Amino acid sequence: MTARQTLPRLLDLPVAPTTDPAWILVEEGFTLAREHEVESLFAIGNGYAGSRASLAEGCALSAPATCVAGVFVSAAGSVPELARLADWTHLSVTVEGHALQLDQNSYVEHRRILDLRQAMLWRGWRQRSAGGRITRLRELRLASLADRHLLLQSMTLTAEDYSGSVSIDATPMGPLTQLTDAGITVIMAVRTRLTGPEGGAVGTAALPIEQLNFDINRGETYRLDRVVAVYTSRDTREPLRTARRRVERAVENIEDVVVQHRDAWLARWEASDLRIDGDPAAQRALRFAAYHLSSAANPDDDRVSIGARGLSGTAYKGHVFWDTDIFMLPFFNLTYPEAARALVMYRYHTLAGARAKAARLGHSGALYAWESTDSGEEVTPPFVVGPDGEVVRILTGEQEQHISADVAFAVWKYWEATGDERFLIDAGAEILIETARFWESRAKREGDGRCHIRGVVGPDEYHETVDDNAYTNAMAQWNLEVAELTARLFAERWPAQWRALSRRLGLASGEPQRWQRVARDLYTGFDERTGLFEQFQGYFGLEEIDLAAYAQRTAPMDVLLGRERIQRSKIIKQPDVVMLVFLLWERLSPQVRRVNFEYYEPRCGHGSSLSPAIHALVAARLGNTALAEHYFRQAAEIDLADNMGNAAGGIHAAGMGGLWQAAVFGFAGLRLTEKAPEHCAKLPPSWHSFCARFQWRGQWHELTLPEG
Amino acid sequence: MTEPTVLVPLDGSEPALAALPVANALGEVEHAALLFLHVAEDRPPDAESLSRVLLGGTELDGLTVATRTGKPAAELVHAAAEIRPQLIVLCKHGAIEPPNVLGGTAMNVLHNAPCPVVLVPPSRGSTPWRLQHILVPHDGTPGTSTALRPAQKIAEHAGADLLVVHVAGTAPAAVEPGYFTTPRYVDQPHHEWPAWSSEFGKRFVCLGPPGRLQMRVCLARGNAAAEVMRLANQHATDLIVLAWRGVWDAPRAAVLRHIVAAGRCPIAVVRV
Repeated sequence: MTARQTLPRLLDLPVAPTTDPAWILVEEGFTLAREHEVESLFAIGNGYAGSRASLAEGCALSAPATCVAGVFVSAAGSVPELARLADWTHLSVTVEGHALQLDQNSYVEHRRILDLRQAMLWRGWRQRSAGGRITRLRELRLASLADRHLLLQSMTLTAEDYSGSVSIDATPMGPLTQLTDAGITVIMAVRTRLTGPEGGAVGTAALPIEQLNFDINRGETYRLDRVVAVYTSRDTREPLRTARRRVERAVENIEDVVVQHRDAWLARWEASDLRIDGDPAAQRALRFAAYHLSSAANPDDDRVSIGARGLSGTAYKGHVFWDTDIFMLPFFNLTYPEAARALVMYRYHTLAGARAKAARLGHSGALYAWESTDSGEEVTPPFVVGPDGEVVRILTGEQEQHISADVAFAVWKYWEATGDERFLIDAGAEILIETARFWESRAKREGDGRCHIRGVVGPDEYHETVDDNAYTNAMAQWNLEVAELTARLFAERWPAQWRALSRRLGLASGEPQRWQRVARDLYTGFDERTGLFEQFQGYFGLEEIDLAAYAQRTAPMDVLLGRERIQRSKIIKQPDVVMLVFLLWERLSPQVRRVNFEYYEPRCGHGSSLSPAIHALVAARLGNTALAEHYFRQAAEIDLADNMGNAAGGIHAAGMGGLWQAAVFGFAGLRLTEKAPEHCAKLPPSWHSFCARFQWRGQWHELTLPEG
Repeated sequence: MTEPTVLVPLDGSEPALAALPVANALGEVEHAALLFLHVAEDRPPDAESLSRVLLGGTELDGLTVATRTGKPAAELVHAAAEIRPQLIVLCKHGAIEPPNVLGGTAMNVLHNAPCPVVLVPPSRGSTPWRLQHILVPHDGTPGTSTALRPAQKIAEHAGADLLVVHVAGTAPAAVEPGYFTTPRYVDQPHHEWPAWSSEFGKRFVCLGPPGRLQMRVCLARGNAAAEVMRLANQHATDLIVLAWRGVWDAPRAAVLRHIVAAGRCPIAVVRV
C-alpha cells in the first residue's frame, strides 16, 4: 500500500477526496489474492453498521459483508455470529453487452483510497472492455456518522472513447429483510437514482431489482446514487416504515447526507486526532487506528459492544472479549466519553449472563463471558479442529476468568476519567460489587493461610489450568479492594442510593470487609527479595527456550514447538505479568516494574496481536525508547503491512487500541492520577512533536510535546 | 496437435513401464489420448525394437507409438514443444541409474518441458493406479497457486480429494504480493485456525478454475520435506503435485529433491 496519489473529485458531489498522504491509505492496482485484506482495511462503519470494501462488481475472492452491531444469528449447533445483511454495494456494469470485470479484462487504472479524514472509501477505475472501449468509473461509499442508519454509494460512469449502450445491474445481493433466530427483524430500504449528463434524473428505482439501461455518448458522464436505510426491530417497532421514510428523504438530499457525514467526522477528529511530526508511518498508523475504533463505536446504543474485528469483518463472529474493556476503552474514555459510556453500559446490561455463568460454575457474583454477544452468555466454543487436524479442547471460556476483573477495571477507569456519577450509581457500582463477590467465592483460603485461585488461564494462553496466575490474582485483588472502596464511597456520598443498592443486591453487612480480607490474603506470586512476580505457580521451573533462535519465524511459537512443548516452556504468548505492570503501574515501585519487564519481555513470543503494543507502552515508560519503537512498529504493522493475511477476516481492533495507548500512555507518558492528568514524555527521536487532545472529567486538555 | 494428449516416453527398459498405469489413469481423467514416444539414439527404430520397448504389453494394443532419433532428452523436449501435451508421464530414472536420484533424461525433460511432468518411481511397477488422494505442498505464494491449476483440474476431474499442505517454518517470509502464510498472531485459536484454513483454501482455489473441489488445508510444522512425506504416507497419497521455480540445486527445491529421492508415489511437477 502506498499513500501518495488521490482520485480526482467525484463529479457533482460537494466533497473531494483528501489529498494529504497522512490521511489516506491507497491500494494501487489489483492483486486478487490480497482482496480479503483490502476489504477489511478499507471497510467503512459508524458503530451501528459496517461494510467491507468489496468490489462492487465482485471478483473471484470477494467476501462482501454488511453487519449491524448486536444482530447475531446462530446456525444449529454453533455459536452465534454477526448476521450478514444483503450486499447493498453490488453494482455490475455492462458496456455493449460486455460486463466490466476487474479480474477478467485488462484494467487501465485501478486505485482505491480509504479517506480517513472524511471516512469515505473512494475508487477510481478505468477499464478497457471488448472492442477497446474505455470506461471510467469513480465510486464513493460511506456509512453516515451523522445518521447512523444511512449508507451511501455514489458512482459516476464516463464513456471515454465510445458511444454505446450501458446497463447497470444494481440489485442488492441477498434479502433486504431478515428475521434472526433471536426474533430481530432487520430491514434495508434501498433507493437508487440515476442522473444523466444534463443533470436531470434519468430514473429512480425503488424496487429491489434494479436494472438500469441507457445509451451513452462519447465523453458523457452518468451518476448513480444509492442510499440504504437500515433499521431493526431493536431500534423501532416499525423498522420497515421507518427505513422507507428515511431513505426517501435521503435520496432527495444526497449532498446533505455527504456533507453532514463529513462534518460529523471532522468533529470526531477534532476530539481524537493525534498529530505527530517527523514520523509519517506512525502518524498514519495512529489515524488508521482511530478511524477504525471510531467506526466501531456507537454512543446511541449501550446494548452492544465492539467485537474483536469491529464491523470490518465477520472473523471472531463479532464476539466481544476483554479487548474492548482493556485495549479499546481508554481511547474512548479520553476522546469519545459518550461511546465509552455505551461500552461500559453493555457490561451492565449483560450482568445477568455473567451471574448465570458464575452460578453454573458454582460461584457467587458475576463471572463475565470470555466471549459474549448480545445476551452476555458465554459463547466460547468448547472445541476446535486445529490446522493439523487435531481436535483441541478450548478452555478459555471456563478458565480465562480475569475477564471479570478486567470489566471491573474498565468500569473504574471510565468513572475516573469522566466522573460520571450517574453511571457509577446506576450501573458501575453493581458491576464492581458483583465481580468482587465472584472473586471472594472463587478464591479459597488454604492451609498456608493465603487465598489461592487455582485452575485458570491468564492472558498468556499458552499455559492452561495454572494455579495462582499473577495477573488474575493481582487484578482480582484490585477488584476486591476497589469494590470495598466503592462501598465506602457510596455510603458516604450517596447513602440513600447505597441502602437501596444493598437491599437490591442482598448485600450482607460486613461483606465489603470480607472482600478486603480476601484481597489482603490473596497470593500473587510476588517475591519481595527479587521483586519478581512468578507468572503462576511453577513457572520459574519450566524449560528455558532461547527465542532468538526463532527470530526469522513466520509462525507463532506454539505452532513451531507444539502445544505440549510450549506448555512445558517459559515462552509466553503475550504480556501477562507485564500487563499487570502496565495496569497496576501506580501500585508498583519503579524497581518492580523494571525487573519484571526485563525478566518477561525476552520470554514473550508475541503470539497475540495484543502483545507488541503493550510491550511498546511499558518499554517507553521505562525509558527504553529504542525497544519501544521496535514494538510500536510491530504493532502498527499488524494490519498495515502488506503480508498480514490475518487481516482478511477483519482488522484487529484491540491492537489498534493498544497502539493508541502506546503512543499516549507510553511515549507521551500520560498518567491519569486521582487529582489530574500528568505526563512524563519519552518520545522517539524521530517524533519532532506530538500533540493530542483529550477529555478528563468533562474538561478538554491539550498535550503538546515537547513543551515550551 | 489440438487433441488433448499425454506424452509417455519409453526407453525400452522395464522400469520405464512403471509410467504406463499412471499415464493410463491420467489420460482417462483428462480425456486425453496417450502418445508413446520412443527415441533411438543412433538409427530409426524398427518394429522389432519397438516391440521390445513395449515389452509386448497387451493393454497397449492399438495405441500409436511415435519414434524419433537423436539424444533422448532433447528429442523428448522437441516433441513436447511440437505436440503441446497436457502432461508428460515418465519414469523418474533409467534402469542403470541409482533409485534415489532423478535420471538424466528425466532431469532434462523436467527443466525444459512446456507442460507439467509426472515422475513415476519405477518401484511401483505395473500395479494398476487409481487417483483418489492428491497432496499439494504449498508455500503460500499466489505464484504457486497459479502454477497448481492443473492439480485442481485433475483432482476435480478424477473426483479425488486434495490435501493442501502448508509447512510453517522459521524461514523469512516471501515478498510476493498476496503471500499468505501462517498467521503471526493467533489471538484465539478456535477462531483463527478455521479462518486461516478457509482463507488459505480460498486464495488457492480462486486462482484456479471454477468448480467443486474436495479440498482440505493442513498446517504442518518442522522440516517441510519430511512433513510432506509423512503426510503423504499417512493419507495414502496417490499423487503429490509440486510447484517448482526451475532451480534444482540446493538450497532451493529441497522438498522436490527429497520427494524425488524418497517418494513412493508419482510426483507431478508444475513450473511456476
